[in-house]
Amino acid sequence: MILYILRRLLLWIPSVILVMLGVYALAFYGAGDPIKLIFLRAPGDVAYDPVKIEAIREQAGLNQPFLVQFGNYLLNLVQGNFGNSLFSGRSVWAMISAAAPVSFLLGLMAMIVTALVAIPLGMIAGMNQNSRIDYLILGSAVTLWAIPAYVAGPLLMVMLLAILPDGAVPYGWGGLFSVKIILPLIVLSFQPIALIIRQTRAAVIDVMTEDFVRTARAKGVPEHVVALRHILRPVLTPVVTQLGLIMITIVNGAIFVELVFGLPGLGRLTVQALINSDYPVILAVTLIGSFLVMASNLLVDLLYPVLDPRATDPKGARL
Amino acid sequence: MTALLDINGLTIDIDRDSGPARVVDGIDLSILEGESLGIVGESGCGKSLTMLSLVGLLPNRIRATGGTAHFAGRELLRLSPAELRKIRGAQIGFIFQDPMTSLNPVMRIGDQIAEALIYQTGLDKPAAMAKAGDLLELVGIPSPRERLMAYPHELSGGMRQRVMIAIGLAGSPRLLIADEPTTALDVTIQAQIVDLVRDLKDRLGMSVVWITHDLALIAGLADRIAVLYAGTVVEDAPVDLIFERPTHPYTRGLLASLPTLTDRPMSRLPSIGGTPPEPGRRPAGCPFAPRCTLAVAACQTEVPRLRPVAGSDPRHRAACFVTAKEGAAA
Amino acid sequence: MTAGPVITPTDDRPTSLWKDAWRRLRRNRLAVAGLAILMLLIFVAAFGPWLTPYDFLSQNLDARNLPPSLAHPFGTDDLGRDVLSRVIYGARTAFLVAVLVTAVALFIGVVLGAIAGFYGGRFDKALMWVTDMTMSVPQLLLVVVINASLKQPITLWMEARYMETMNPIYRNSAIIDFVLVFGSMALISWPPYARLVRAQVLSIRNRPYVTAARALGLTNRIILMRYILPNAVGPLIVAVSAGLGTAMVLESAFSFLGIGVNPPTPSWGNMISDGLRVWTNYPHLLLAPAAVLAIVTVAFNFLGDGLNDALNPKGQK
Repeated sequence: MILYILRRLLLWIPSVILVMLGVYALAFYGAGDPIKLIFLRAPGDVAYDPVKIEAIREQAGLNQPFLVQFGNYLLNLVQGNFGNSLFSGRSVWAMISAAAPVSFLLGLMAMIVTALVAIPLGMIAGMNQNSRIDYLILGSAVTLWAIPAYVAGPLLMVMLLAILPDGAVPYGWGGLFSVKIILPLIVLSFQPIALIIRQTRAAVIDVMTEDFVRTARAKGVPEHVVALRHILRPVLTPVVTQLGLIMITIVNGAIFVELVFGLPGLGRLTVQALINSDYPVILAVTLIGSFLVMASNLLVDLLYPVLDPRATDPKGARL
Repeated sequence: MTALLDINGLTIDIDRDSGPARVVDGIDLSILEGESLGIVGESGCGKSLTMLSLVGLLPNRIRATGGTAHFAGRELLRLSPAELRKIRGAQIGFIFQDPMTSLNPVMRIGDQIAEALIYQTGLDKPAAMAKAGDLLELVGIPSPRERLMAYPHELSGGMRQRVMIAIGLAGSPRLLIADEPTTALDVTIQAQIVDLVRDLKDRLGMSVVWITHDLALIAGLADRIAVLYAGTVVEDAPVDLIFERPTHPYTRGLLASLPTLTDRPMSRLPSIGGTPPEPGRRPAGCPFAPRCTLAVAACQTEVPRLRPVAGSDPRHRAACFVTAKEGAAA
Repeated sequence: MTAGPVITPTDDRPTSLWKDAWRRLRRNRLAVAGLAILMLLIFVAAFGPWLTPYDFLSQNLDARNLPPSLAHPFGTDDLGRDVLSRVIYGARTAFLVAVLVTAVALFIGVVLGAIAGFYGGRFDKALMWVTDMTMSVPQLLLVVVINASLKQPITLWMEARYMETMNPIYRNSAIIDFVLVFGSMALISWPPYARLVRAQVLSIRNRPYVTAARALGLTNRIILMRYILPNAVGPLIVAVSAGLGTAMVLESAFSFLGIGVNPPTPSWGNMISDGLRVWTNYPHLLLAPAAVLAIVTVAFNFLGDGLNDALNPKGQK
């Protein structure tokens, strides 16, 4: 078991570094020269002095080969130094650590809400396949999935305008337990919930036709126990493997939700950095996002043997 | 002796988009206390569905639409789901065909047996686990106490089936239904399982229904044999008579196609030409008529019901206008 | 004991895979509704500009921010432009971008995926690595990075071209934006297609009929194109319909963020972001593009689901 964990970790670390390399390369070769950039905004500017630029670049170590620069970047990374914002000069780390808690809390709560809402709904839909409640749940799931966060958010707000008293529009961050988090949380959870409902439902339909479910019923086990003990466990396995995809959906969605509802999180940070062409920030946020996704995938890999004891056993054939 | 189980005119339909299709068309079967009945027929003849319908375990879109099934004084087809649940396992136990897929792959086998005990006999968890160990010993699994912690994939096929038998017996049911329990196993293991079930039946005094497509296998276990074809019983007799005096043309065809020691080497096995009718496309009249060499005009228009075979044991019945009348002489 | 030949009558109307699928699709009412909405979208996208009484650019400063009325069914925006016309033009933008991006991504994906699946080896490993990487990074962030990275080189390149040819087209920032969005989207869209095709090719190339084709001495190229790819079309269709929807959403997402189509060209995305600024006073400015976008994406999804069920019928039915 420990061996399995170690093996997985050993395979995972290089892939993370590779992804980081790729993203860094994009920014590096694409964006080109950050220093020149600042001056490029005003080509006719008196300050546009090639010699001076070269000196600054040399000092900032921008003439060294790509891999060396990447190595330096990684080293700095490990020490928590993401560089400084091109736009404001502040430490990128400071900017991120101010914004990250908001996004992380929001994302975490979205995942919890998703699990609590979507799995039961998906099971109900799957166990009553083709009934009216199934169509209702499934239809809602398809609709929710289709509507992106930046559309759902505004639509929801418009609809609520009719109900809310004047001026009570949710905007801004009031902390984890304020009422202002409800709407962004709901909107952010729409797509993950839709995804999990469909996954759960499909898995339940598959599992229900399995022979061992029939055996359980033939043993006189009550239906609700069949659902929880015999159907839920095998269903959880394919659902949990979606964790990576959920993470991607939440990261993508958070950008819009934060924008629409004015939450000071990483998403809003990214958008601002984009508008200002603030590469260090963009790079840092992208790396964090990718890291989160890959970490979720790793977590799924590690959880797999817990969910399905056949996974680590070489004798376990099937699937 | 009164019958433990008495099925009369049972019909089962499949719900298709194009309408219901009859798959079991009037089955009459009965089984006495302590008797073992073998149900023989090819795939798709409805033998499993008939038994599953008794305890309300028919798959989606398949329903019992008519007939009666009396079990120990109760009418099974009219019971509510809650009442049926109480009968499952405790009164009527099941053993299914493929133990690899019929056992929950992520649950330890001890838990799976204990589960049956908990819900059938009301034992608490520790007592159920202890009893599970006893059951494993009963079905002949070595080191039963250690095996309780194993997962199904850690056992061999034969052992898994023994676990299934243990589960089926857990609540000491009065009737054990074994649905092709040896089909997925090696030939050598098959014989062991048959011996085991026969032994347990004698010891516990259960009635056993053994569903199979293998006539030769069942000969060693059954007191009586019912031959099913296309959703009806075509012949029903004590086991010796089936082999000595097969009456219905289908039964004769089945027996003729069994290889025997006295066959000439390299000779071809006789087979019955054609295929059984699909549900929803039953011919009017006898379902076997299209494939039958003895068919007469009446066979095409009327459905023969089980009738006593002339000149044979009164318990020997066949559903055929031609052969039941003349007895085994034809 | 051989009886005469037995014929169990079967349904012998000749049918093909596609007819079967079409029949199943027809029965799915939601999918049919989705298809209808999409046909409407295509119609509007193609003929829209001729249908609208107003030019989407023409401003009428006397008629600003009017709520929906007979003259302006969707109202007017803060520059007096007719919202309905802008929404219709936005349909054209959305559709154009979605189709172009998907076409390019599909082409790249199919070619790369087929080669990787068929020939394997180092090319295959490299492809898997690239697709893994792209799919591990959240799309939006990746596009942001690509967009930010490409902006410089493309702008510089355009500047250089302008210097050479003095052709004003190279100064057109709208085109630059369009190319950027288009490029980034295509770059992140092809990996799923490549993986799909690769998986299909891998599973099909071991099938008996492919071995038979090889035994006949057919060249690899012919085998790939005539035997393997046609059988991979089913899942590809489903992926394309989902991909078109995703591309539309992506395009409007980027316009929403301000890195896609820019004003004054209307795109549903930038209309939504404009509407967000003033929706408390003029909700119709937000509602119109948002509702339309929602309806269209839902339609795409219903259709995609319907196609999936039609082409891969699962056991239950």
